[in-house]
Amino acid sequence: MTAAPATPELDLSWLDLYDEPTAAEPGKRGLTLEAIDTGAWASREEASRDMTPRLRGARARAEAHRQGLTYQTKADVWADQCHALYEEAVQRQWSSARDIPWETLRELPDETERAMCQLATMLAEVEFIAGDVPGQWLPAISGDEFEVGLFLMTQIMDEARHSDVFRKRALANGGGLLAQGAGLGLRNLIDAKDFTEMSVLMHVQAEGFVQSMFRMGELIGPTQADKRIFRMAAQDESRHLAFGVMHLKHVLAEAPERREEIHHYLDRAEEASGGGSGDVTFPPVFESLAILLGGGKEHFDEGVARFMLLRQRQVKEYLHRLDVAGLGDRRERLGPALAQFAA
Amino acid sequence: MAADGEADDGTISEDLREQARALGWEEGLLDRALAHGYDVNTIAAVLATRLSGDQAKGFLDREAAQPSFAWMESPTEWGVRAVPADAEMGLTLADIMVGSYGEVPDLWTNRTEIARGSHPTAVQEDMGYTIFEKAIVWAPSVADLYERAIRERWAPATDLGWRSLEALPDDIERAICQVMTEQSERAYAEATVLGRWLPEISYGFVEMKLFMGSVIYDLARHAEAFRKRALANGGGLGLQAPTGLIRGATEARSFPELMAYLFVQDSVLFSFFRAAGNLARNQLERDLYAYAALDRERLLEYQVERLAGFLEAFPDRRDEQHQYLRKAEVRLAREWEDAAVREPLELLLGGGRDGLAAGGAALRVLRHRQVEEYLGALERAGFVRGERLHSGLRTWLEAPVSAGEGSLLATTGRS
Repeated sequence: MTAAPATPELDLSWLDLYDEPTAAEPGKRGLTLEAIDTGAWASREEASRDMTPRLRGARARAEAHRQGLTYQTKADVWADQCHALYEEAVQRQWSSARDIPWETLRELPDETERAMCQLATMLAEVEFIAGDVPGQWLPAISGDEFEVGLFLMTQIMDEARHSDVFRKRALANGGGLLAQGAGLGLRNLIDAKDFTEMSVLMHVQAEGFVQSMFRMGELIGPTQADKRIFRMAAQDESRHLAFGVMHLKHVLAEAPERREEIHHYLDRAEEASGGGSGDVTFPPVFESLAILLGGGKEHFDEGVARFMLLRQRQVKEYLHRLDVAGLGDRRERLGPALAQFAA
Repeated sequence: MAADGEADDGTISEDLREQARALGWEEGLLDRALAHGYDVNTIAAVLATRLSGDQAKGFLDREAAQPSFAWMESPTEWGVRAVPADAEMGLTLADIMVGSYGEVPDLWTNRTEIARGSHPTAVQEDMGYTIFEKAIVWAPSVADLYERAIRERWAPATDLGWRSLEALPDDIERAICQVMTEQSERAYAEATVLGRWLPEISYGFVEMKLFMGSVIYDLARHAEAFRKRALANGGGLGLQAPTGLIRGATEARSFPELMAYLFVQDSVLFSFFRAAGNLARNQLERDLYAYAALDRERLLEYQVERLAGFLEAFPDRRDEQHQYLRKAEVRLAREWEDAAVREPLELLLGGGRDGLAAGGAALRVLRHRQVEEYLGALERAGFVRGERLHSGLRTWLEAPVSAGEGSLLATTGRS
């Protein structure tokens, strides 16, 4: 038996650090991140960054370790509204187990079930990568912009739920998983070497394309359960997309010299027609979408026409979002695979 | 159809044809594009992007392809109709682990992002995963833990009684703020470390990755909630948390090292949150600690199961785990000695600045319990730390605790 640990001398200097007493007030949405973004604790362009794990506002320890390189400029990662997007994400979490009316699944014609399962297979794959990508960027975000990190952590959860729900869908109605997706563009996302590059390619382009598709879920989904899946997933994608648009807007406002660099990322990504969302022109995906949109294999041509509308919608909304972010000139240099749908 | 080099109703200029040749477009491709329905402006735009001949041909070939529906015949298991085992719980991950889809291989060999159970395409890029062995990451309960995380979710903004906070004596409020500052940073930092490992884990173990997503999200809410408490009642943020322990986690060269190292923190924080009833000065704090304990409990369950499975699969790596645990224990012991870590707890446990001595005694009880429960968690994984426990933690375990002191700590309960 050893003696009790020796009692060290009292220090208590930590009691003397409080020169700005703060009592943030909850509002009708409770006590939000916005409510505590106040006074000395508020986010600002100029902050005393130190690359340690210190979160903004805490007093620095002289002996604190650096944790690796982090972005040292707010504009490199920031998105206005990221507080609100985080709070919305927390409030609007849903359960793939209980919030989808699985009991509304009904036996479908074999080709329709296969088409839905093929689409679900592709989406279970795409959403898997969409969780990895924000994960790898977390260590690069300074504690001075911790709200961005928090938002990405909600995105990781959202993408997990999407992978989960599409896998469940494929296995819940007499079907199964089918062919692997083409994967085109997914490497672009994981290969990004800069936060803005990642965000523009993943949040704005890839998730934008997926979002446009999910918003056509009423047409695509053959059952109430399918429609609900698309609706719930679209709600999450909207936040990710909003983050990307707001980040791009912030970058272009604070670092306008990066405009051409950002165009370059998009130039490269648009060469793969999926633009990071998995290639929807890959035959298994294109054909399954055409079957679902047309209402069966016998209406395949009608489905193809609707598929073309989907592509037009994806590209139109993509350009609109870029326009909102301040990159309206993208329209003039859109890659050929997308330009054909931009008219 | 006109041959290349001749104007086709004047729609394609010789200049465009020259551009196409320079880019390696084969003869006739421009006309094929026109015939396909592309107008000359689109073609000019395409040429301006310097699209290679191969890319242009590939694009047109794909456009013209007739549907084959070959994917409908993918040789995967078909006819699966997963149903909820418990209607109350809904359709869970455990429910869909049926047939071949429920088989988690000991060794996953596909290097792409293919969904486990789907049919691979012939050519795919390597996505750079490095973890292909089940025993490295797996725990039998991951699917259940994931669903539990979703069922037990809570929202700091609205599930805590922010309006119930009342002013506290300055020294108490500042001690609370110091604890909150530390816990907020510890949670955030652990989430960032775990996030960095997600791209390493292959799709063979998708259920584990889903659970890890829920852990990262839990830790985000902890970082948020502790920060909010620091800024909600007339205080502020205090001194940043010590960085030694978390720095060690970032140094991990493998997932087993990372998890062994984090086992120490996950265990002692679970014990801390569970026992933090006497630190709390109001129901909000009691609820906050109880929620945090609930989340950490799931993580610790994963840790225990993963370690047990890992040791069973790799018995020769047992001693190596001792090394990682020791590294973490050394740093933890040092951090527990830090004045800004120790004193706020003593102050809160003692009821104020005047009660620091009594608080010190209560803290000894807490530390004793944390070490004891840490060793207990390891033992549940089949791992006896025994004499190898670092002396900086052993000293807490072996410090005499009187019966009276033992009653100083209550277990946290949520309202």
